Amino acid sequence: MAAVSLIGRGTVVRGNVRGDGSLEIQGRVEGDVTVTGDVVLGEEAVVRGSITGAQLNIAGTVQGDLRGTESLLVERGARVVGDLTSPRIGVAPGALVRGTVRTDGEAPLATPVARRPGLTAQPLRAAAPAVRPAPVAAPKLEPVKAAPPPPPPPKVDAPLEEADSEEMESEPPSAPAAAAAAKAPPPVVPALGKHAKAKKKRRDG
Amino acid sequence: MVRHSTELSVLGAGSKVIGRVSGEGSLRIEGSVRGDVQLSGDAEIASGGSVEGNVQAGALDIAGSLQGDVNAHGPIAIRSGAVVRGELKGSEVSIEPGSRISVRLETEIELDLGGPGGGGSKRR
Amino acid sequence: MAGTVVGEGLSIEGDLSSDEEVVVHGNVRGKLTTTDQVSVASGGVVQADVSGATVSIAGQVTGDVTATERVDLQTGGRLVGDVKAARFTIADGASFKGNVDMEM
Repeated sequence: MAAVSLIGRGTVVRGNVRGDGSLEIQGRVEGDVTVTGDVVLGEEAVVRGSITGAQLNIAGTVQGDLRGTESLLVERGARVVGDLTSPRIGVAPGALVRGTVRTDGEAPLATPVARRPGLTAQPLRAAAPAVRPAPVAAPKLEPVKAAPPPPPPPKVDAPLEEADSEEMESEPPSAPAAAAAAKAPPPVVPALGKHAKAKKKRRDG
Repeated sequence: MVRHSTELSVLGAGSKVIGRVSGEGSLRIEGSVRGDVQLSGDAEIASGGSVEGNVQAGALDIAGSLQGDVNAHGPIAIRSGAVVRGELKGSEVSIEPGSRISVRLETEIELDLGGPGGGGSKRR
Repeated sequence: MAGTVVGEGLSIEGDLSSDEEVVVHGNVRGKLTTTDQVSVASGGVVQADVSGATVSIAGQVTGDVTATERVDLQTGGRLVGDVKAARFTIADGASFKGNVDMEM
């Protein structure tokens, strides 16, 4: 079985996540997730960005597109704003989805919704440092040769490739969470209150 | 939903309507309709049934084929054998795997993007 | 149970064609054709040409009625239109206005 990585509950990743294995997300990702394996998104997890994998199982909140090359299941309690594409799609009663849902790659009859701004991470720079992240314990996503994972839960096994280092805002592995927060360059994400709500986008036309 | 009163209409498997179907009560479509369907009650497109047109109804259950837009007051359920294309608006939309769909869901939804356990940015 | 039932509150505007029995409790406006039986129940209102194997009318029909076997106009039924069928009965208390052709 392909190795499974985990982004734990207290973890926030700002940047894109790529890899060859499967991934379980219980925390938060602000960026795109692209893996060749499966992705499980926990109920409390939040992803602002797209998720691409083989079999996706989504129980949390997503603002971005979902692409399952094999299957895509959206469970009760999930909240998704974005386009869903997979040859096999399930949306359970109680899940809320807004966007296009396609098993065949052809556009529905109506005009497509204006693209929502995705949140792809930008290269790190000292732009608008109005924001300090709360605990940013980036998961250890480097290959095995790197240092062991930081104490907080993300017990991430090796094989997930590190995201492009430019984009990935991960701290050196030994830094504990607080220190990591202090050292982390300010993210370029728009500042959000803890309970920010996305506004409903109105479709153009 | 099997009712033996005259409130449940059925367009049988061998039937074809070219035109508009409207009114009170519920409707099970086993045949084909080319035209709009507008009901105060629930609509069901049975397996083998097809609608080419817009549908307005209470709840909508689709096991057959639908090409058109849907405005449902109640839930929309797309069953595993269904083929659906169009814009769907309902109180809730559920989709069974195995269906073939190309739809846009216009669900009213607000995302709470506040992070779990302290994640997410804070203003300073 | 009939293949197709147009319930009391339902209206069909357009062509309804079938190869099964059709029972109309509601409204049909346009054209109604089946190879099987047509029943227009007492609350039914049909403004259409009707064609079937047998046509039984207890409601209202305005339009021409053609049957390969028979047309029966029941008590309380109203038919305005021409009838073409091998057999045609008009019950007591029914009303009918139109021409009849019983040559098949």
